[in-house]
Amino acid sequence: MNNLMKLSGRCLLSGARLLRPTVARLLSAEAGQTDLSQLVKKDKVVVFIKGTPAQPMCGFSNAVVQILRMHGVDEYASYNVLEDQELRQGVKSFSNWPTIPQVFFNGEFVGGCDILLQMHQNGDLVEELQKLGIRSALLDEQADEKKK
Amino acid sequence: MQRAMSSHTDGEVRIVQRLKEKFPQATSLKVVDISGGCGAMYEIHIESDEFKGKRTVQQHQLVNQALKDEIQAMHGLRIFTAVPKQ
Repeated sequence: MNNLMKLSGRCLLSGARLLRPTVARLLSAEAGQTDLSQLVKKDKVVVFIKGTPAQPMCGFSNAVVQILRMHGVDEYASYNVLEDQELRQGVKSFSNWPTIPQVFFNGEFVGGCDILLQMHQNGDLVEELQKLGIRSALLDEQADEKKK
Repeated sequence: MQRAMSSHTDGEVRIVQRLKEKFPQATSLKVVDISGGCGAMYEIHIESDEFKGKRTVQQHQLVNQALKDEIQAMHGLRIFTAVPKQ
């Protein structure tokens, strides 16, 4: 099931950018069994949200999804805490942070929605993504602007 | 929806008190109940030298620790920290 989603994600990526967020891997069913410290290191960008990138169930979780989308980050791991109460509690203890959403870059806790928004607004996010080896789509937009 | 700023909810008052205790050096502190007075969600703005040199997430962690008990009853909160401009 997960391989199918990864494949469809790649097919969508090869075409023009979609208006809908591309499907990030959804692994909430497996999350309960995996150690959280391993989980957050499995992917460069890991988010714990309410709902899914295709259907966020909370305004703050949606903000995280939209910000990542704006930067063209469509390959990331997303875990739906609404599907797993143990995960919901576990991630809060793990990062010592009382709320969802939670964003991790390279296994390191970055913050929630407000922090990600701040980073997006002050340019830190582009820089952090660069450190992860991800080129923000906003850099390409800026380049296009200059060409015009 | 504009609320009269002259009155504060009990929750806001309690949180302001708690933050004043934990951040005695805070130069600016504002707490707003953004759940329409239900105490479910708050927005906190706090400026203090105690945040100097710390990354945003660490600054927010300090506020989280300070409001550990109050947070249990909340649905969510938004934190905006800053170091006072010299």
